[in-house]
Amino acid sequence: MSAHGHHVEGEWPHQPENATLEGRNKVLGFWLFLGGEAVLFGTLFATFLALRDQVGDGPTAAELFKLPIVGAATLILLVSSLTSVFAVQALHQNKVKDLIKWLIVTVLLGFSFLGLEIYEFVEYIHHGHNFTTSAFSTAFYTLVGFHGAHVAFGVLWITLLIIQVKKKGLNLVTAPKVYVSAIYWHFIDVVWVFIFTVVYLMGRVV
Amino acid sequence: MAHTAHTVKRYTGIMDWLTTVDHKKIGILYLLAGGLFFGIGGIEAILIRIQLIKPLNDLVSEQSFNELITMHGTTMIFLGVMPIIFALMNAIVPLQIGARDVAFPFLNSLGFWTFLFGGLLLNLSWIVGDVPDAGWTSYVPLANTEYSPHHGVDFYTIGLQISGLGTLLGGINFLVTIINMRAPGMTYMRMPMFTWASFITSALILFAFPAITVGLILLMFDRLFSGNFFNVALGGNPVLWQHIFWIFGHPEVYILILPAFGIISDVLSTFARKRLFGYSSMVFATILIGFLGFMVWAHHMFTVGLGPVANALFSIATMLIAVPTGIKIFNWIFTLWGGSIKFTAANLYAIGFIPTFVMGGVTGVMLASAPANFQFHDTYFVVAHFHYVIVGGLVLGLFSGLHFWWPKMFGRTLYEGLGKATFWMFFIGFQLTFFVQHFLGLIGMPRRVATYLPNQGFDTMNMISTVGAIMMGIGTLMFLWNIFITSRQPKNASADPWEDGRTLEWTIPSPPPEYNFKQTPLVRGYDAWWKEKMDGNKEMTPAEPLASIHMPSPTILPFFMSVGLFIAGFGFMYGRDPFDNAILGFLFNNYIVSIIGLGITFGCMFLRSVNDDPGYHIEVEELEDKGGRG
Amino acid sequence: MASQQSASNHSNRRHKHEGRQKHIVAFIFSIVLSLIAFAAVASVAEVNATFIIILLLVMAVLQVIIQMAYWMHMKDKGHLLPVVFMLGGAFVALTCIVMALYWVWW
Repeated sequence: MSAHGHHVEGEWPHQPENATLEGRNKVLGFWLFLGGEAVLFGTLFATFLALRDQVGDGPTAAELFKLPIVGAATLILLVSSLTSVFAVQALHQNKVKDLIKWLIVTVLLGFSFLGLEIYEFVEYIHHGHNFTTSAFSTAFYTLVGFHGAHVAFGVLWITLLIIQVKKKGLNLVTAPKVYVSAIYWHFIDVVWVFIFTVVYLMGRVV
Repeated sequence: MAHTAHTVKRYTGIMDWLTTVDHKKIGILYLLAGGLFFGIGGIEAILIRIQLIKPLNDLVSEQSFNELITMHGTTMIFLGVMPIIFALMNAIVPLQIGARDVAFPFLNSLGFWTFLFGGLLLNLSWIVGDVPDAGWTSYVPLANTEYSPHHGVDFYTIGLQISGLGTLLGGINFLVTIINMRAPGMTYMRMPMFTWASFITSALILFAFPAITVGLILLMFDRLFSGNFFNVALGGNPVLWQHIFWIFGHPEVYILILPAFGIISDVLSTFARKRLFGYSSMVFATILIGFLGFMVWAHHMFTVGLGPVANALFSIATMLIAVPTGIKIFNWIFTLWGGSIKFTAANLYAIGFIPTFVMGGVTGVMLASAPANFQFHDTYFVVAHFHYVIVGGLVLGLFSGLHFWWPKMFGRTLYEGLGKATFWMFFIGFQLTFFVQHFLGLIGMPRRVATYLPNQGFDTMNMISTVGAIMMGIGTLMFLWNIFITSRQPKNASADPWEDGRTLEWTIPSPPPEYNFKQTPLVRGYDAWWKEKMDGNKEMTPAEPLASIHMPSPTILPFFMSVGLFIAGFGFMYGRDPFDNAILGFLFNNYIVSIIGLGITFGCMFLRSVNDDPGYHIEVEELEDKGGRG
Repeated sequence: MASQQSASNHSNRRHKHEGRQKHIVAFIFSIVLSLIAFAAVASVAEVNATFIIILLLVMAVLQVIIQMAYWMHMKDKGHLLPVVFMLGGAFVALTCIVMALYWVWW
């Protein structure tokens, strides 16, 4: 188990996340984990699709969903995905200040997305759309809530990484962690693309 | 990143086992825990068979019988054989690819402890008295709160979620290990078959376990938080559970059998002293079986009424699997053909595997025919079929692998004579138990029913079946006895105790030092060690000069992370129960117990993230002191 | 040593780092594709629902491909295994969705 990759000592490598064996393992392992996450969300989407018309006495998707709020959430998450790409570029160029700046922006956008989602859920509950109202409502809160929980985990994780990079600096141990968290953040964004399409927009069509 | 020699606290005794990140020790832990659960599942099986020894027997009540069959299936699949597979994967795969360690030693340890605490939570149900009783498939509506009002099914959903998390982590660890940690020259198409099988099995774990996790979460939400996924009154659909369960469940049976295929391939070629026949077709067949495993789940649901199109599609897809499996069977036979075969205990199990597994496969093709399936469904024919593949296939494979690699894992060779006697006891017992069940099923005995009436033609065959089950139990005890007497012998196994070892694990001492390979070997071909032997070499060519070796530090965090999940699961389960004791009521009803549990888990995660593990180095002098080939 | 020292000073120039432009282009594409989707739903009264749903799915898949290729670097070399395993996950996920659409209600 050599901790030392094939980069030249003292030089910031082109892809710092892949410069050590630990880094390469971490990045690959995380990609595989995301492959599993794809199945997890696929199963949740399948459940939602199977049950989305089963509204019982509760409100239907078309009655509930307001597009402006979903559009705002989409914009926030898209921008946060872009800022996390900028963070990775700063990482590759060894610009610690830029890296921290973009990570903070990403986290703030993540928090505002969560705030919006909580506001949205509270609205729905006022409209009589509870977790236990119908099969549709249970499936809706489970799918969208799982995504929200991923966002929440993501902002806490990235916050922790910001503190670590500030304390320990950017090195070949912290770089893979930051890279992997960015991949995770993009994945959350990709899941959201399907959520706003399948849950909200298609909910308004049918 | 500098080469500073850190002094790391190295534990001894029980703390060593709780904190180890050494894959060989984790392998032994998996074996111990898997063996324990295998024993519990075995006792449940024998109780089931004793209940059925004669008509109208009343050894156990109907309720207890339901609990026994549920827990037997669940325990054996998730907590018995899967961990023993992981035991062999941990002990052997890194050695076979010439690696010093796995890719994620910490996650490996975490995977073990979450599996163990999930399994303990599930089996805690026996002590609490609310035992899962809705079958190992836990079909709704039987498993919803209306028909299973007590906490049994909650133990099932939460225990399996926790242990499933451990399995998923283990799967990712092995995928990355096999992809990134191979020694120089160990190309994919030079990997031993067991490593290939472990690779494909890990990929199946990666894609199948998230599905069951979701299924279990849905069932948990329905039961604990009044969700409506399967609540027909509010639009839920019970068929959805069956689909999700089997989208996971069918790949799961390939997760189980593929490692056995790998073990058998390695054992047969070693003891036939021949190169494995058709290696590349074996690899291809393994991948194909893995792929098709995801395409056939609805053959468990032929009688649900999905319609002729779905049933026809899934019939054909299922029958297709016989093709790659047939390729494997012929390859094993051709490997034996013309070999100078040594009938060791390990090889007896491997050879016994072939016809037994063929029988299980053939009844599988029979069941794949949808119209016939309507007749076989829910009878003992199905029970016979899947025990032929899981016991006659997988468990014989595991026994074979354990006898084969025991000297490598423990430095002591199991007694051959006793091993062979164990094989015959277990093998004959197995055939007696399950062969007659084909006919019991064909004449109409339903599975999962606690008893039967006399004079329906069931009596004699059930008696034979029970006698066979007891013989299997005696066989297992003989195996344990073998382990016991072997453990009292000196550790004297040589590096290559079978003398015909073909792969890299036989080039290093038995048991291997913690760093496995003193110098990473250079692999020059398939069956790397055999190739060196044939070229007249006494050892592998090293791929690197002797240098200090970096090792990860032991850590207790995985243990506590798993304890945290255990506590959290327990808290969720009783979140809505009334309590006489006010303090307990306060703690559980406000989910404070769950919050504490999750706090422990995430706190440990936090510590792991913040504290970098410097590890420690084993210096060259120390390596030279230990001597031996490396 | 001296040559190494100078190499490290010029490291940023030595490996060419990608610019921001293509990520901004990917972002604009994502925004445009999302806008098309939202606009299509807003105009649902005039157009056939099946057409809209197909359009929505195409927009979503395009957007996801763009984001994965550029932002998750899946188009870069050395990403064969991530692509293989993500496709594997997507394949099983799609299997689940086919199940949900065709074999749960009948």
